[in-house]
Amino acid sequence: MYKWYALKRILRGLFMYALLMFIFSLLFNQVNEQTQRSQINEQVKMESVKLRNMKPEQMTTWRTGRYDQLVKLYKLDRPLMERVLFRAVNTITFNFGKSTIIKSSKGEQDVLSILLEALPRTMLLFTTAAILETILGIALGLKKAQKPGGNLDRSTSFVTMIIYGMPSWWLGMMLILLFVYVLKLFPSGGVNSVPTPAGIGFVLDRIWHMILPIMTLVLMGFWSLSFVVRNIVLGVLQEDYIMSARARGIPENKVLFGHTLRTSAPPLVTMALLSLLSSLSGAIIFEGIFSWPGLGNLYWVAVQQNDIPVLMGDLAFTTGIYQAGLVLLDLIYGFLDPRIKVGGKA
Amino acid sequence: MSMKDFGYRLGEFWADFSKEKSGLIGLGILLLSVIVVLMEPVFLPYKDVNGNWRDITYWEDNPPAAPPAWTNLFAREKSAITARLDKPVITEEEDPELGMVRIYSFKYPYHYDKSPLDIILRAKGSGMLFMNLSLERPDGNTIFLGQVYQSDLNDDQVRFAVDTDASSAVYEFIRGHASEDAIANSDSSTIKPTNILFAKIGEDMLSARNALKGDYYYRVKVPMSLLENEENKISDLKLVVTGRVSGVLGTDTAKRDLYSGIVAGLKWALFIGLVTSVISVLIGVMYGIISAYFGGFTDTFMSFIFEIFVSIPVLPVLIVLSAIFKPSIWIIIAALIVFSWVGPVKTVRSMALQIKEETYIEAAKALGSGKWRIILKHMAPLLLPYSFANMALSVPGTIVFEASLSLLGLGDPTIITWGQILHDAQSSGATLNGLWWWIVPPGLFIAIMGMTFAFLGFAMDKILHPKLRTR
Repeated sequence: MYKWYALKRILRGLFMYALLMFIFSLLFNQVNEQTQRSQINEQVKMESVKLRNMKPEQMTTWRTGRYDQLVKLYKLDRPLMERVLFRAVNTITFNFGKSTIIKSSKGEQDVLSILLEALPRTMLLFTTAAILETILGIALGLKKAQKPGGNLDRSTSFVTMIIYGMPSWWLGMMLILLFVYVLKLFPSGGVNSVPTPAGIGFVLDRIWHMILPIMTLVLMGFWSLSFVVRNIVLGVLQEDYIMSARARGIPENKVLFGHTLRTSAPPLVTMALLSLLSSLSGAIIFEGIFSWPGLGNLYWVAVQQNDIPVLMGDLAFTTGIYQAGLVLLDLIYGFLDPRIKVGGKA
Repeated sequence: MSMKDFGYRLGEFWADFSKEKSGLIGLGILLLSVIVVLMEPVFLPYKDVNGNWRDITYWEDNPPAAPPAWTNLFAREKSAITARLDKPVITEEEDPELGMVRIYSFKYPYHYDKSPLDIILRAKGSGMLFMNLSLERPDGNTIFLGQVYQSDLNDDQVRFAVDTDASSAVYEFIRGHASEDAIANSDSSTIKPTNILFAKIGEDMLSARNALKGDYYYRVKVPMSLLENEENKISDLKLVVTGRVSGVLGTDTAKRDLYSGIVAGLKWALFIGLVTSVISVLIGVMYGIISAYFGGFTDTFMSFIFEIFVSIPVLPVLIVLSAIFKPSIWIIIAALIVFSWVGPVKTVRSMALQIKEETYIEAAKALGSGKWRIILKHMAPLLLPYSFANMALSVPGTIVFEASLSLLGLGDPTIITWGQILHDAQSSGATLNGLWWWIVPPGLFIAIMGMTFAFLGFAMDKILHPKLRTR
């Protein structure tokens, strides 16, 4: 039953996420509490400014009282394990607290709204790149598999090895150097120009800003994807039913897209999603280079400003996305490959 | 496995490996880089670059943001290259003003179109020191640059830079030659002394700057009367002509020689990459074997731990860890190992599950071999060759991880890595200012290192994998 398989996988993903949040909250406990205490101090100071008609002694007692009250509210006076658990639960329920410096475009200091503002931008960039990458990768991979050992196959495999260890962000820097500094064709970074045009101009402007980062991602990704596609498709092409399909006189294109691609779909989807997941991890650096204000760039800013709550929230978000990707991967794989479902009955 | 056995298998492996062209290329580059690392001082133009990378004074004689010297080959107007002169000709003669003097003269042949940025004299002095500095040009003019007078020196460095210390003296020189209009429109703070010193004399010498090519003599006159006193000493005279282009790979905005940085960064890239991947792959292989061999609860538990590590996005966690704990390079390597041992576990575990059922393992058990003996003697040697390819293929990822951390400014500041050079480039806006010599080489070397290990890994994979299957 696919239903049970899916449910089991999702529940396991959720459990894993909760466990990871607990580990993170244990690992970064000390620095989290330091930030929280200094934030409480700040809050008490802010509130005491508003108070009037108070003698100095009254003021100090009020301050210590308020401080203790807030410490109690955030459970900073409880034993270590309880504090860690409390914070983990907070993180799991998206209760990230307030940032220390960074503000969202509306001026809010709520970490969640800062993250939610950045999330769609990251998604836009990476899904577009992933779609282009997959199309190009499969097209090139099929071409390579048709003539294994041919000129095209050999030369593209060679390129795959050459860029194997090339950091995508460095390629981004190179493209900026070429297209922004030398040719002056594209903007160096950001999501939109200032002032932002309205209507259709907005969309065009956004696309103009997206070309360079997407070009980098696709240039980096589709080689290795095509290499994997080639290997998978090559394996399928040697099967007997392909030979018989060809013998029956079915056009080559139909053999390639109808018969071969359908059989190799499960591993192909897995590989495509895996490459997308791994590129998401590299996105942190990548977005910083193009000053693309997504989740990755937020790490960059948070590290520079030493904004611990944002850093923690960002980490929780990224881990969540990563985890969701892993779950989705298994779900799609199970859906495409009927053999998985059999083993999945709970 | 005996030594002879091992030698035989190695020979067999080499026979296959030598047929892989890309593998041989990889091996060649790897050997070359090992040689460079071992003989580092030979390749370093600045011997003390390790430890002085962030010391501003160490680099102060270099030009800032100068392109590599070989860019002259492609430029129509040749720029002066940074030159270091440390062998002055010493003569003694009678000077009309100073009496008997000892003259240290440096010969600088100038045959470029664009003048140097600065001429810097460095010397070590003791006691009282007096130097009269002048420059004799090919057209016979001698320009007085300035005088250095310092006392109570105790083997201290004395530095005289034309660009800052001789501007007024050079201004005196143009007064006699340039047109009055030009002089009226300038003052000693706006003109660049070296532009004047290396230009042909004429009415328009302030604007035209036609290069006067030929041999220049930089003279340092020290009165003999001063040197007769035993306490006054002068030694180690050096002249640095700071060019507009410099070194093999140019300099950055902090005047650092990038070629030295790249060479010094090579050993760290190799070290971080190799140590991390060898250790983490070994851990992963052993983990897979132990998990498969023991089975039962141990297997379930170990698979659970494995699953936790697989679900962690490595780079974000590493970034947060290093942002908070500001670790040294050793801790960074340890953290990289902790998060990257999971790579080979899945494959090794499934292979070990098969090997476990082989009859010779059963025979070994029947003969009374212990668990660890079977694991280390019978299973590990079969599965380790598989891991060699894995080690090579995981090196590039490790190097990129470290470079990414450094790029964010989270690297260990006591060492030089390519990622840190790129961090400095990125934070000074090198991409948008077109300082390509600062961005291209570090990334290119990261890519070349990655390519080397990819070549090695793919070649080894081809050879080692089918063998394992046929056993």
